[in-house]
Amino acid sequence: MARRLGLHQEVLQVNVWRGNASGGKHCHYEVPSLESQTILDVVTWIQRNLDPKLSYRFACRVGMCGTCAMMVNGKPRWTCRTHVRKVLDNNTLTIEPLRNLPVIKDLACDMSEFFDKWDRAQGRFHPSKTRSDDVVRIPPTSVHRTQVDAAIECINCAICYAACDVVQWNPDYLGPAALNRAWTLVNDVRDNNQTVRLRAVSSDAGCHNCHSHQSCTTYCPNEINPTASIAGLKRATAKATLSGKI
Amino acid sequence: MFERRDCDILILGTGGAGLFAALHASRAAPHLRIIVAVKGLTGKCGCTRMVQGGYNVALGPGDSVERHFMDTIHGGKWLPHQQMAWNLCETAVIRVRELENELGCFFDRNPDGSLHHKAFAGQTYDRTVHKGDLTGIEIINRLMEQVRALPLEIMEEHRALALIPSKQRDTAAGVLLVDMQTGVFRFVGAKAVLMATGGGPTMYRYHTPSGDKSTDGLDMALRFGLPLRDMEMVQFHPTGLLASQQTRMTGTVLEEGLRGAGGYLLNGDGHRFMFDYDQDGERATRDIVSRAMYAQMRDGRTSPNGGIYISMGHLGAELVTKEFKGMVKRCADCGFDLAAGRVEVVPTAHYLMGGIVCEPDTSTEIPGVFAAGEDAGGAHGANRLGGNGVANSTVYGGVAGDTMAAFVQKMDASPTADRDLIEHEIERAQHPFTQPAGNIHVLRERLMDIMWDNIGVMRNARDLDKGIKQIAELKDELLHTGLPDKDLVFNMTWHEWLNTRSLIDVSAAIAAAACARENSRGAHFREDFTDPGDLNSSYFTVTRRVHDTIEVGKEPVQFTIVKPGESLIGNSAGEVPPMARHIT
Repeated sequence: MARRLGLHQEVLQVNVWRGNASGGKHCHYEVPSLESQTILDVVTWIQRNLDPKLSYRFACRVGMCGTCAMMVNGKPRWTCRTHVRKVLDNNTLTIEPLRNLPVIKDLACDMSEFFDKWDRAQGRFHPSKTRSDDVVRIPPTSVHRTQVDAAIECINCAICYAACDVVQWNPDYLGPAALNRAWTLVNDVRDNNQTVRLRAVSSDAGCHNCHSHQSCTTYCPNEINPTASIAGLKRATAKATLSGKI
Repeated sequence: MFERRDCDILILGTGGAGLFAALHASRAAPHLRIIVAVKGLTGKCGCTRMVQGGYNVALGPGDSVERHFMDTIHGGKWLPHQQMAWNLCETAVIRVRELENELGCFFDRNPDGSLHHKAFAGQTYDRTVHKGDLTGIEIINRLMEQVRALPLEIMEEHRALALIPSKQRDTAAGVLLVDMQTGVFRFVGAKAVLMATGGGPTMYRYHTPSGDKSTDGLDMALRFGLPLRDMEMVQFHPTGLLASQQTRMTGTVLEEGLRGAGGYLLNGDGHRFMFDYDQDGERATRDIVSRAMYAQMRDGRTSPNGGIYISMGHLGAELVTKEFKGMVKRCADCGFDLAAGRVEVVPTAHYLMGGIVCEPDTSTEIPGVFAAGEDAGGAHGANRLGGNGVANSTVYGGVAGDTMAAFVQKMDASPTADRDLIEHEIERAQHPFTQPAGNIHVLRERLMDIMWDNIGVMRNARDLDKGIKQIAELKDELLHTGLPDKDLVFNMTWHEWLNTRSLIDVSAAIAAAACARENSRGAHFREDFTDPGDLNSSYFTVTRRVHDTIEVGKEPVQFTIVKPGESLIGNSAGEVPPMARHIT
């Protein structure tokens, strides 16, 4: 049962990981339970009222920037969009930095490797046209466009990357977000770099590492299915290999 | 103590303006040393990313740059800098093709495969290009990918503290920053500096921009002696989500389309009040709806948290869930049922039309300082059309990149920075560590109340005077409120103190400009001067900081392209057809 503070104020038991690259530990805080309270609000309350030196990140407050992602009771989540009631376990919250990324301080991670892998997976458009050309006509129901639409609304929050066991076993693995982006480009008929991309995603660190555990898909707050995208890459790279293209 | 590095071009900010500037400068002159500095993570903290609606561009068959321009002038109530508004509309056509063809943005299509243009409020033509209702994410993600691959340096989590002039004080010589992760002060010497930090009226109780926004760019410009224009013009969005004041979700935008689709606004008594104010009801323009809501709230007819209800249930929960999937999901995550129940909403401060006075090429009156995006003033005048914000940041970001690349290649040597001033600014940034510890958060909350109550949706001389006095008192209290112990490493509370100082200074400029404009134009509404004033003698306000006081001047709008009463596209121009008024 929740402990009570004052007349009817319930208190949450919150453990927050504090530390830096060289190590750290969980610190315990008691935070009043409030209405409409998100995990980000809990972290903010601690910083404002109990420990002004607690470090964390947030920006947009509405699930568009992905900056505030953290591990909450062992699962990766956007803290701005996670209601306390939804995840509270025996009145306790354990809040930690995202898994699979180096910690800078407390709840803030170094995201550089995540974005470097995005580029290594050739997750960048290579144009075949210029601003002087008309926009390419692509019917919205075409097969390729539909594939792009299913996977394009990724906000690079790294939730899937933190959820992925393969990243944990093999730190070189490009990871679900980068490969998902590569898949949208493989389906982009305007792109001019397909062979290079297929080689990049079929490298030792690429799509064939995926074990289809589907943790990425389970935790993606935008309901994207990176496992399906990676499966698409496996098929595309196999086909390109058989036909001698890569 | 500070580290030093040098470059040719320093860009502050990685929203649409900053990233486009980096891209254009680097492509125009790849040998230049370019540094991009950002307060958060690259592309993650700018407001371009948060664009839901789309990008206004006259690319549709039958549309024209002239028509887009006339809509922008009418929307801005004849206050826009006309050449800036023209260049915005004209260059948007190129910029959208650049985004789509060169950067890889994949905008939505019509069934025949051509670009889809949707209707957006206040426009006479369907011209808003979009990617679903997450256009900003598509634009920023594609820009980030391209910029990260360029031969330039990105300094993440570096907060800009001050523009530093040359020893002769005649040009800019660089910017003092602090590495937020380590607390190390860095002076970056530069021949050209772009202010693209984004505006963001987060000094109001209810506000939409991301949490890192604190008008740092405008504050730095004011302190550097640069003039700001149109600072009284603060756009309020009618439907900000309202929960308690303890949650960061309060103030964030629920999309305008909810009203367009037929959503009801109900006061605390359950009365649908909008038709008491306007024949278009909930589908009236943003400013009219915001004022009606505010009037209801001031009269005490409110929901439990002090706002208004939006109610969609009569349209059918299934339909609402289908049409507004993202909004329904967001509300559900926060514990509210948008599809079938009532959700509390409140007008929320959204955008600063005002900004640094600059030329259409983004240069300012001080050589070496450039401005683009929400930091720049002029293109929107008294009101910004939905869809012109992202057009503005990407158009003028690119222009700034081109202009700066040409500017620095004409310079021989880097200006010598005023070292004493750097030392002074380092001391100024650490001021809170010299004061007895207090609660900075309480002061920030008080600022938001002062601005909301006195310099907000509806204004009058008495409240404005009160607000100005309270802002000054708050500034004094802030300067005597410190932080517990000196620790510069990833110290968010220190940065919250610095945010609050920037916001207080820019709030004083907003209040002074609002006091000076004794009429009601666009976003600025005076209860004691409800008349819009004579269009032919329209003026814009210019706010400067002289010594420690704010001075406001008025300058006549130059009708260089079109005069009030005239149009570039015949008599129908600018008259908003009823259809376009309520579709967003």
